[in-house]
Amino acid sequence: MTSNVRTSYIIKTKIQKNLSRWLTYLILTIGAIVVIYPFFYMVMNSFKPGPEIAHDPLSLPSTWIVRGYVTVWKTLNVVRLYGNTIIVAGSVTLLNLFFGSMAAYALAKLHFPGRDTLFKVMLGTMMIPNILFLIPTYMIIYRLGWVGHFRALIIPGAIGVYNIFMMKQFMQKIPDEIIDCARIDGCGDLGIYLRIILPLARPVLITVAILTFMGAWNNFFGALLYLQDNPDKWTLQLGLYHFRTGIPTENAEQIWAATTGISAPLILLYFILQKQFMKAFAEMNLK
Amino acid sequence: MGNWITGITDPLFWKSIFNICYNQAWFICLTLVISLGVALLLKQVETGGRLFRTIYFTPQVCSVVVVMTLGVYMVGPSGPIQTFLLSAGVLETPVYWQFDERITMPMLAMINTWKWFGIQTVIFLAGLIGIEPALYEAAELDGASAWQRFWNITLPQLNPQIVFVLVTNVINGLQMFTEVFMNFDLYGGMKNQALTPVLYLYGKAFDRFNMGYASSLGLLLAGLIFLLTLVQLKLVQREID
Repeated sequence: MTSNVRTSYIIKTKIQKNLSRWLTYLILTIGAIVVIYPFFYMVMNSFKPGPEIAHDPLSLPSTWIVRGYVTVWKTLNVVRLYGNTIIVAGSVTLLNLFFGSMAAYALAKLHFPGRDTLFKVMLGTMMIPNILFLIPTYMIIYRLGWVGHFRALIIPGAIGVYNIFMMKQFMQKIPDEIIDCARIDGCGDLGIYLRIILPLARPVLITVAILTFMGAWNNFFGALLYLQDNPDKWTLQLGLYHFRTGIPTENAEQIWAATTGISAPLILLYFILQKQFMKAFAEMNLK
Repeated sequence: MGNWITGITDPLFWKSIFNICYNQAWFICLTLVISLGVALLLKQVETGGRLFRTIYFTPQVCSVVVVMTLGVYMVGPSGPIQTFLLSAGVLETPVYWQFDERITMPMLAMINTWKWFGIQTVIFLAGLIGIEPALYEAAELDGASAWQRFWNITLPQLNPQIVFVLVTNVINGLQMFTEVFMNFDLYGGMKNQALTPVLYLYGKAFDRFNMGYASSLGLLLAGLIFLLTLVQLKLVQREID
């Protein structure tokens, strides 16, 4: 009798477990559909004639057309927009890696008076909301005559305190013994930095590179402030913003073609490097 | 000095502060519930969890301009959601949310939730995985229900992650700009329903070229953000004590 009750209990919990597992997957799948659907919609509508988008937004294209892409290619200087964005985002990323890693090495491994105070002051600046710097930064860049040039975005973006912080935290974990050994073998600070620290810090360098590149690629506000009046220097985000406002509904496919073309490279890069991206996001938040 | 008094007594500035707080209240509640819920579900999944995480992260990679272009069409009167709701009879007339001052900000918060819940999910998931399983076992032996376990173990143990998310949300969220700049004029629409402090400041500085006044507004906003952050940290600390 008791064993009977027990087996029925076990069966019951098993069913319950299975049920809850299926329910979990069901909810997660619904969530995934909610996330993916807008992208699907974007790509589908980029192949649809404009009036069809307006009348029947949910349907698949009745005829697949690439007119949207062709017009976008003709009206927007896509190559230039891409080139500009790559110049800005690439330089910002490289400069951050270069200066940031050196600063992080100094803060993590070199001993000099006032080091910890300096680091605390740097951390303190992160607490200040960016909005406070907006007008002063703009005034300085305006007086320097940099408005309308890439350097208005590249130079102020060359150093990120948060990047330094992340790299410093990582480099601190590198044992001092390795550095001492290298020093005994006659290695200078530059040698230690280049031959020991940088190779060992590769994971954090990748994290910083991903986050910085993504931030710079997606930076709209900076481009709006400094590059607005010079269409030759527009980045992708600024180009999309201006393009979007001038399109009538019957040509809506152009908007979707432009949006697809602009977001696809970064999404593809994300799917290829998803492991690194995930790690970068996780590290960004766990202080 | 005059700029300060004008700033403090400027009704539009306070309207923008109200708007952004209204928006953030929606955004914080939505993301907190959704990302905590998804994280709890993901923790139970053994296979396929990575696939789901990868998918949930995709909007993160897109720029605000792309997400807003997508989102505004999705929830717009001729977009797929409203078309579906209209044909299903849930809605009787299309909702022009950009002109309705009650729902403009909640809708923007919804679009932003779609963009940002993935990253918070990962933060919460990392926190959940870090909780000692022994705590749950002990509670189960004591006969605690699932809800009691969630309320008395999960939530307190997740405190650091929740604080982090709240603080960063407030600092970043109060400085919202691109989302409203793209879809509304410099006054945030006819009834200033989408006016945010940074949008207002931008208009003053770069449309009216009143840099002095814009700087004062910037300082006021920064002070407010600082104050809110302090209050949050204080409240949390008291809870821990």
